Amino acid sequence: MRESSAAVLSLKNVSVAFGNAAARPVLSGISFDVADGEFLCVVGPSGCGKTTLIRLLAGLLAPSGGEILFGGRPLGGTSRDRAIIFQDYSKALLPWRTVAGNIALSLEAAGVGEPERGRRIETLLAKMRLSHAASHYPSELSGGMQQRVQIARCLAQQPRLLLMDEPFGALDAITRQTLQDEIARLVAEERTTVVFITHDLEEAIYLGDRVIVLQSNPGRIAEMIAVEIPRPRNQLDTREDKRFLEHRHRLFGLLQGR
Amino acid sequence: MKRILRGAAIPILILLLWEAGSRAGLLPMDTVSRPSHVAAALVGALADGSILRATWQTVEAALLGFAIAAAAGVLVGVILGLSPLLERTVGPSIEALRPVPAVALTPLTLLLFGFGLRMEAAVVAFACVWPVLLVTVAAVRGIEPRLLEVAQALRLSFPSRLRKIILPAAIGRVVVGLRVALGISLIVAVTVEIVMNPRGLGYGMIVASQSLKPELMYAQLLWLGFLGWGLNALLTRALGRWHGAFGPGMQP
Repeated sequence: MRESSAAVLSLKNVSVAFGNAAARPVLSGISFDVADGEFLCVVGPSGCGKTTLIRLLAGLLAPSGGEILFGGRPLGGTSRDRAIIFQDYSKALLPWRTVAGNIALSLEAAGVGEPERGRRIETLLAKMRLSHAASHYPSELSGGMQQRVQIARCLAQQPRLLLMDEPFGALDAITRQTLQDEIARLVAEERTTVVFITHDLEEAIYLGDRVIVLQSNPGRIAEMIAVEIPRPRNQLDTREDKRFLEHRHRLFGLLQGR
Repeated sequence: MKRILRGAAIPILILLLWEAGSRAGLLPMDTVSRPSHVAAALVGALADGSILRATWQTVEAALLGFAIAAAAGVLVGVILGLSPLLERTVGPSIEALRPVPAVALTPLTLLLFGFGLRMEAAVVAFACVWPVLLVTVAAVRGIEPRLLEVAQALRLSFPSRLRKIILPAAIGRVVVGLRVALGISLIVAVTVEIVMNPRGLGYGMIVASQSLKPELMYAQLLWLGFLGWGLNALLTRALGRWHGAFGPGMQP
């Protein structure tokens, strides 16, 4: 699967350094491929460059060295083919637009006109279970609901690659589990490729087809595993699966810095 | 209603004492007019239309200057707010121009435009542009960077970015600058009329004062206060509705 032409995304020896050249790079020697339809999770301690990595993939940041290919071509800047879901949903939503208006933003950007736009918003609202909140403003919603709006806005782009930067990190445990299952179901339906950043090892194993563990100073790949637990997964059985526990034991040490 | 009455108690008391003191001969009639005479002068000026004409001349100049300042201030403010490099280049020039008292430009604008609406509006615009400009720069710079990244990720064109992200995100604060500027516009318009320009309420007051009609001058002063209050109330209402359009998430 790796190094194959089916890779949607391909990183070759990518590095990022801020400031002067003598400074220790934030990311160094990052190489991996993401296959079409794959759910790749990246887990690591805080400060290991996870967010820098996702910003690279979104095109919000250019690498200092190495090469990133998206669909076989060098990734230059942002693209509507790649959607990014930020952790701080309250800052990423337009407070002066309603839920429906926020979702409309990405359709407007893509030049989708009425009545098609309205129809797609309806569908997404239903899919994200937001229909009852369509005319509410973000500030009137709970954190979980706000994050659903951001997810809906990104899905509205119909991206080839969905980038998620610790999307559930700020949510309570129950909301987090519900959203984990929903996102897994949605991307399976749409066959969207996902790169999912988290600091939660169990979340990474639960959601991912593969898990990359990053280490800090400089940020580099410490380990890459294939999860190989069948889907659909569920919160009880999957987390008690023998392979789940094995992965958890194996990767736990790496995250503690041993 | 009760609160309005309570608030009006002191002005009414002062007017009554004033009227009584004047009738008792305790106040010099040639400088401190009697309230009843002032009221009569106001009614007279309203009846012959002179005060309304003067009001229109003043308001016209104030609003024209304000509109020019608002448009220029928001436009330049957005550009400077988006480009720190440009701001560092233009910033010192702005800081050098800003402390020039607007009214001191009256002789210059007189040379440029002659007496009339244009010279007055030009001075008003110069005075009003600074608060709008500075507040807009700060507002644009204060926009949540995440929102700009969302715009970047969606590859919004610059005009849509401006219309859909930057202006709505900044408007809550820009409005504060606009309110300050509107207050300034009336002050400067009247000042220019008093100093030099033979039109509007300011000139009317000078004429009334010099022709020894203090009651007419007081009437115009009272009217001017009422005008300022009315303009501000109007703007507050208009902008309040505007804020409402952004929903409860928008705290101005």
